[in-house]
Amino acid sequence: MTSDLVFWAGVVVVFVGGVFDFIAGLGMLRFPNFYVRLHAATIGTIYGAVLPLIGVALMALGSPIPNNTFIAGGCLATALVLFLVAPIGSHLLAYAAHKARAVEWSPVVDQLGEEE
Amino acid sequence: MGRRLLGLVFVYSLALALALVVYATGSLQPPHEIKRLGVFYVEETFFGNMTAMSPEAVTAIVWDYRGLDTVYETAVFFLAVVAGLAVFRVSKTPPLKRGVGLTEISRTSTKIVAALIVVVSASIALHGHLTPGGGFQGGSTLAIAPLLVIPIFSYYALLARRLTPGLLVTLRGLALTAIGLVALLPVFKGLEVVTNIRFYPAYILGQLVSGSLLLYNSSEYIAVASGFAAVFLYLSFEEEFHEEERGEDHE
Repeated sequence: MTSDLVFWAGVVVVFVGGVFDFIAGLGMLRFPNFYVRLHAATIGTIYGAVLPLIGVALMALGSPIPNNTFIAGGCLATALVLFLVAPIGSHLLAYAAHKARAVEWSPVVDQLGEEE
Repeated sequence: MGRRLLGLVFVYSLALALALVVYATGSLQPPHEIKRLGVFYVEETFFGNMTAMSPEAVTAIVWDYRGLDTVYETAVFFLAVVAGLAVFRVSKTPPLKRGVGLTEISRTSTKIVAALIVVVSASIALHGHLTPGGGFQGGSTLAIAPLLVIPIFSYYALLARRLTPGLLVTLRGLALTAIGLVALLPVFKGLEVVTNIRFYPAYILGQLVSGSLLLYNSSEYIAVASGFAAVFLYLSFEEEFHEEERGEDHE
């Protein structure tokens, strides 16, 4: 009973991740400039990749397949690394684009510029 | 818009037609019978008479049954690294300056991620005879650590710790010599080159080491990692430095 509950919770989490992936794809297509598109891309990596990985881990834990804890552990470790790395990637992209003045923008608030 | 839609429809119908043709002719069907060579590898790698004492068939094939091929492959990669060094003429390293690097956030996280990479790559290489992985895979994973350090901390951070292309190529040469020695040592006892289980022990202190496979994997791990790191390092030197050095050569 509990394992069924864990499995279906995993299915729901994977589905939610898919929905977020769709939203992120829409954002990449429709957002107006680089910085806002970066936001959409990070939604795709955090909610669209970390969340489904946690979901797959739950699905593995809830099903009677052999070595299911091994699969779940791999998924959770990958999710943790992605969770750590993805924000840094978008931080660096935004920083580099701002430093190199590669992207034209019209800021409302420019705290990086005030520091310089 | 109309032309784009037409193009899209054309590409999709082409892909669909191709898929139908492939399905109809059955040319992508997997074969129903296992080849005799495949049966040999599956039966012999761990349990058979010609065993390599490794539950991981790929490593057994790469380093034991077809070990000579892999030694040649490794030599080819070594020649590629040396040829790169010759083309870029990196005989000296650039004078040490203070690198600028990137933000504090990225520096801190790179320290964590680089440590993780080192641990994971060692696990891939040293378990190569037990699980999928091996020396080349582990080594190329380890080479990602300096590749991360170069943009985040600047390559002066590596040079200041004496991690120069010269040292890395020397390290690679030593690791390759180790591979050659492991392959040649059985000859002195009157066995064939690249002999595995008849010369090297399969178990050490009760741990399965699969004879020479662990030795090959760990040497290849160092060789590939230092080779890739040397390539990344001399590719990241500025163009001005290469030009200066070439100018000195002409004089």
